[in-house]
Amino acid sequence: MITDAAIFRIDGVTKSYGGVKALDGVTLEAGVNEYMSLLGPSGSGKTTLLRVIAGFEVPDAGRVYFQGRDITDVPAHERGIGFVFQSFALFPHLTVRKNVAFGLMHGRTTVSAAETDTRTQAVIDMVGLSGMEDRGVDQISGGQRQRVALARTLIMQPKLVLLDEPLGALDANLRGRMRNELRAIRERMGVTFLHVTGSETEALAMGDSVVVLDRGRIIQAGKPDDVYSNPASPAVAHFLNRFNLFSGKLSQGLFTGPFGTVPAPKTTRALEDVYAIRYDRVRARPLGSVTNGPALQASFIASEYLGSSVMNFFETPDGKVVEVEHHLSLGAPETFEARQDYILTWTPDQAIVFGQESNR
Amino acid sequence: MTDATDAIAVPNRRGSSWLILPGIIWMALFMVLPILMICYVSFWTQTTFNISSTPTLASWKQFFASDTYTGALWTTVRIWLIVLFTTFAIGYPTALFVGLFVKSKTLSTVLLVICVIPFWTSFLIRVLAWRPMLGKEGAINIILMKLHIISHPIEVLLFTELSVIIGMTQIYCVFMVGPIAFMLGRIDRNIIEAARDLGAGFGRIFWKIIFPLSLPGVIVGAIFVSVMVLGEFATSGALSGRKVNLLGNIIVTQVGSLKWAMASVTGVILTVVMGMVIAAFLRIVDLKQEL
Repeated sequence: MITDAAIFRIDGVTKSYGGVKALDGVTLEAGVNEYMSLLGPSGSGKTTLLRVIAGFEVPDAGRVYFQGRDITDVPAHERGIGFVFQSFALFPHLTVRKNVAFGLMHGRTTVSAAETDTRTQAVIDMVGLSGMEDRGVDQISGGQRQRVALARTLIMQPKLVLLDEPLGALDANLRGRMRNELRAIRERMGVTFLHVTGSETEALAMGDSVVVLDRGRIIQAGKPDDVYSNPASPAVAHFLNRFNLFSGKLSQGLFTGPFGTVPAPKTTRALEDVYAIRYDRVRARPLGSVTNGPALQASFIASEYLGSSVMNFFETPDGKVVEVEHHLSLGAPETFEARQDYILTWTPDQAIVFGQESNR
Repeated sequence: MTDATDAIAVPNRRGSSWLILPGIIWMALFMVLPILMICYVSFWTQTTFNISSTPTLASWKQFFASDTYTGALWTTVRIWLIVLFTTFAIGYPTALFVGLFVKSKTLSTVLLVICVIPFWTSFLIRVLAWRPMLGKEGAINIILMKLHIISHPIEVLLFTELSVIIGMTQIYCVFMVGPIAFMLGRIDRNIIEAARDLGAGFGRIFWKIIFPLSLPGVIVGAIFVSVMVLGEFATSGALSGRKVNLLGNIIVTQVGSLKWAMASVTGVILTVVMGMVIAAFLRIVDLKQEL
């Protein structure tokens, strides 16, 4: 019974390993034809979540629904959900063609030999592996193996494909290319992808929606730009790896931190008082310059050239590293003297402030 | 680029080749030379109490003309095939359990060590221990009679071909289990899950993924078992009551009565049979690629 556009839904799923909760009451759903990315640090339970949906793990509590049907007790090989492994898990003794055709040849539904051949060839062509059909899987490159893994899953025409850090085993260059390709292939097939990753850039770039997981709980879900500009908690801000975080005290619309007491116009309720300012919002001024906003004295350590921007690292007297990003489109980068002190400042409206005493 | 690698590789090759010299000397003295000697002696002239190096085919003709000798050859081949089958039939499921289904590496190591415990006693003790088990008044018959499953002791258990097969299976099974369990243990569990995810049931996964990937282990195990069973004489001597004569037993008897020429003929034939068996197994799987 399909009541909504959700392709799958998990409801209060809990899973523990030896007393440690890998998943703690996770509820999540994804729509038809959607690219959802699942961001979390290692140990956050994201792989466990995929394995529960795929049927490799049985949840201790909660239900899993797929296409409106409760599949919690359906074995993995009868679910019809695709799974792409981080290590690709190709069959080492079979050729590219046999790897791709495996599901059609040995799966639940029997398909005629002629149809198997046509479908295999079509998928191989689609992922761009034409000419490699009869190679062994140890005779092809990492990117090609990734394509075999994807083709092997897509040939079964699943409505949902789970990808467990699919780009993790590739080098940076290839990862960028495969990102575009994954999106293009998904759009062509019209299936839902649930993509697990530990990389915030990958999660933000690829997903139509992003779900942030921490210690077995979903701590935020939403559109990438929404999650990026409005992290729901200090933990999310931390995972996004785009914010300098300062602890301090929020009181009556004012935040007191290492940079002084500044107005906090935009606050979000959280268990601890944390001040978050994006790397590219911070400016470094020479020592002695007058600022009427926050002022944080820090010494310059090093800078890192990132192509479109320069990342400068400063260290506060108490040893905390503050990152300052300068976009090169905004002009040539300033040069800083190593071991010299500077004043870091920013416009208070651009900060995101978390606190128990918040106005929202 | 090739020049550079050659420049590095050549002195290495020259510098390291002496490492295998002790091995070569050892093998030449204690394997190649004795084999050549056996071949040579098999053409010597044997009289009742003496042997001379006059070349003759007499011993070879005698081997193939006598039912005792050709019979021993066929018995050897038959027992070898049966034991190969029984060790595989018992060993493969055991290895499957130890190597694949036991998830903890520690537990699977412990189980493999348990398989090796019988080897803590000597070979002969292990063989002879079957006598009080299988005998007419042995443990098995006593238990079966106490349970009233049988009224008279089963006599075929000891001093028959069956007892030889039981004994050999027990002794050599572990050599089948070890290599297979090792290969199964190396299979990436994700591969099996991937096959499941593609809709394959356990039977398909076993025949299309697990068994082919474990095949090198089966071949190594089969070679171990084959080489040892083909050269056997102690188990058949101790458990068959001299009713089962293998090529190994023939050699022992001939050497005992100083019939060196006949012992050599049998030895050459045994070596050739083993060589063919190993070559045949190696044709099935390219071990160089797998290990």
